[in-house]
Amino acid sequence: MIEISDLRKEFMLSRRQRKELNTTDTKAVAVDGISISCKPGRVFSLLGPNGAGKTTTLRMLSTVFKPTSGTITIAGVDAVAEPAEARKKIGFLTGSTGLYARLTPNEVIKYFADLYSVPRDEFEERKEKLYTLLDMHDFQGKRIAKLSTGMKQKVSICRTMIHDPEVVIFDEPTSGLDVITAENIIQLIRNCREEGKTVIFSSHIMSEVDLLCDDMAIIHKGKMLFNGTMMDFRNNMKAENLTAEFIRIVNASKELNV
Amino acid sequence: MIFTIFKKELKDTLRDKRTMMMMLVIPILIFPIILNVFVGVSASFTEEAIGKEVKIAYIGPENSYLIEKLESLPDEYGKKKIIQYIDTLKMQEDVRIDSIQIGVYVPSDFTKYMDAKSPAPVNIYYNATDLGMEDRAKAYMNVIEGIAQQERYLDMELIVSELTPITTKYNNVASDKEMIGKLAGGILPYIFIAFGFLGCMYPAIDLFTGEKERGTIETLLTTPVARWQILFGKMGVVVLSGLLAASAALLGLFISIEVLDIVQDAELLAVIHGILNIKFVLLLFGLLFPLTVFFAGVMIPVAVYAKSFKEAQSIITPLNIVMVLPAMVGFFPGVELNVITACIPVVNVVLATKELIAGTLDLYLLGLSFAVMFALAIIAVLISYKRFDKEGNVVM
Repeated sequence: MIEISDLRKEFMLSRRQRKELNTTDTKAVAVDGISISCKPGRVFSLLGPNGAGKTTTLRMLSTVFKPTSGTITIAGVDAVAEPAEARKKIGFLTGSTGLYARLTPNEVIKYFADLYSVPRDEFEERKEKLYTLLDMHDFQGKRIAKLSTGMKQKVSICRTMIHDPEVVIFDEPTSGLDVITAENIIQLIRNCREEGKTVIFSSHIMSEVDLLCDDMAIIHKGKMLFNGTMMDFRNNMKAENLTAEFIRIVNASKELNV
Repeated sequence: MIFTIFKKELKDTLRDKRTMMMMLVIPILIFPIILNVFVGVSASFTEEAIGKEVKIAYIGPENSYLIEKLESLPDEYGKKKIIQYIDTLKMQEDVRIDSIQIGVYVPSDFTKYMDAKSPAPVNIYYNATDLGMEDRAKAYMNVIEGIAQQERYLDMELIVSELTPITTKYNNVASDKEMIGKLAGGILPYIFIAFGFLGCMYPAIDLFTGEKERGTIETLLTTPVARWQILFGKMGVVVLSGLLAASAALLGLFISIEVLDIVQDAELLAVIHGILNIKFVLLLFGLLFPLTVFFAGVMIPVAVYAKSFKEAQSIITPLNIVMVLPAMVGFFPGVELNVITACIPVVNVVLATKELIAGTLDLYLLGLSFAVMFALAIIAVLISYKRFDKEGNVVM
């Protein structure tokens, strides 16, 4: 379960950043009062154009960033007050996630299992299950630098799931991947849902959202424009398809701001 | 958890060819190469200087006392060929262009001076850029002047001992070990410090900026491990790499002396053996440890701040000059470890190592140097922690 209430994130702008952004403001608001609830066994999608604040929101959920204000509860743990406890419950995967190229999949998986203090028996059992599921046995001892993109993605998935997290956070997980490799991620999200985990993922691709999500929120320039179930979204559509409706909502907010 | 991170980072670092080159291969090779070149070049210079036939231009009366003595000098003083000249300007020009190496001008009334037992003038021309020629000319003249003096004493029926009212003997109480330590001891710590810095550099950039660039740091930060534990685990590898590079340089020195037998001089070897003992190595590493932590603590905030390997390298490389340049102070023979120099970072390590080599180290000053470096290391670690804890600096 993820509960977010009135979440806000401000970044102080350096002189160089102010010059680059052509502004006199000393701070930038990346996320402005977002409140959402993601339930176990359901997939929540955070949808928004580039620069909407999706990654910042997910970084606050994963405790990499500290919110300026607001509350985050991850599987019953206050993530702002007890970030280390909250991180134990989280599995985090982004599309831009890299792996340690000089290590082998076995070494990477063991390293992360150790970081999450996974007991040895449990580790062996989960590793075997994931290796079989992802068909990783053949390349488990090869250096990651020598693996294909698809193989690397499988290692990333295995690394994310090795501690059996209650909550899984995906930040644009399929970005930059071909359809075959992206299918691994889509299958992983489905499996997580079936196992009763809480899943949140960000995307700017409506078709992907349509394929997977149960609940969703649309954000733009840090503000929430829609929050509800996929069914609600579909039922209240004013445009002819999902992508057109997404664009309509974002554009309507722009006009409102003007 | 710190050890888990340390172990993984060490494995990762040891598999990086660039780091291994900088950390082990180059430091091991540096002493054998430097010593080989130094010994080889100085030996060949000496041999060449002795074996070289020097062309001497002579202008002056035929059969003068000086030319007779010069011609009769044996080859032990260096081979020579005497050529008669008549033009002084031509002789000077030829010395300048090195077609002859020494010019001797003896005035026509030279014999008159000699007969009158007055100082007889002689002009010697040499080119100072032609190394060794001034010494060669002085060697010839010293012998001839000595012979002439003895002959005059005999003629005048003087007793040499009566003309020497005082005989002074100057005794050097410094041991060879002290001489080497004080005069040449600066280069040894300089090389250890330079490699300590270079050894830290690549792992610091790779483990912080590299992790950011490759997109692995964000994943690491989402694990339940505290940031200070991540920092300490990584920093441990950076410090170890610096110490390994310095150790590799020390190993290179050991190999040069014990395996490759580059140093042949038995006396010098005995002195070096006296210096390179376990106590020296332990005290050296005792000084190098806080210094390497300090280096790591200076590099890590830069590596955390930089967005790419290139940017980090472009900041840290000039830092190398700022950090390692003070170590050159140790090259100057007069600079010694005292209360003031013991408080100057890097310089104190060089001077303390110099004193250590010479065997004249004051424990109070050693403690002060160590305390200064230790305090700086702690400050550097705190700055690293502050920088690493800033969320904007650890993710792109």
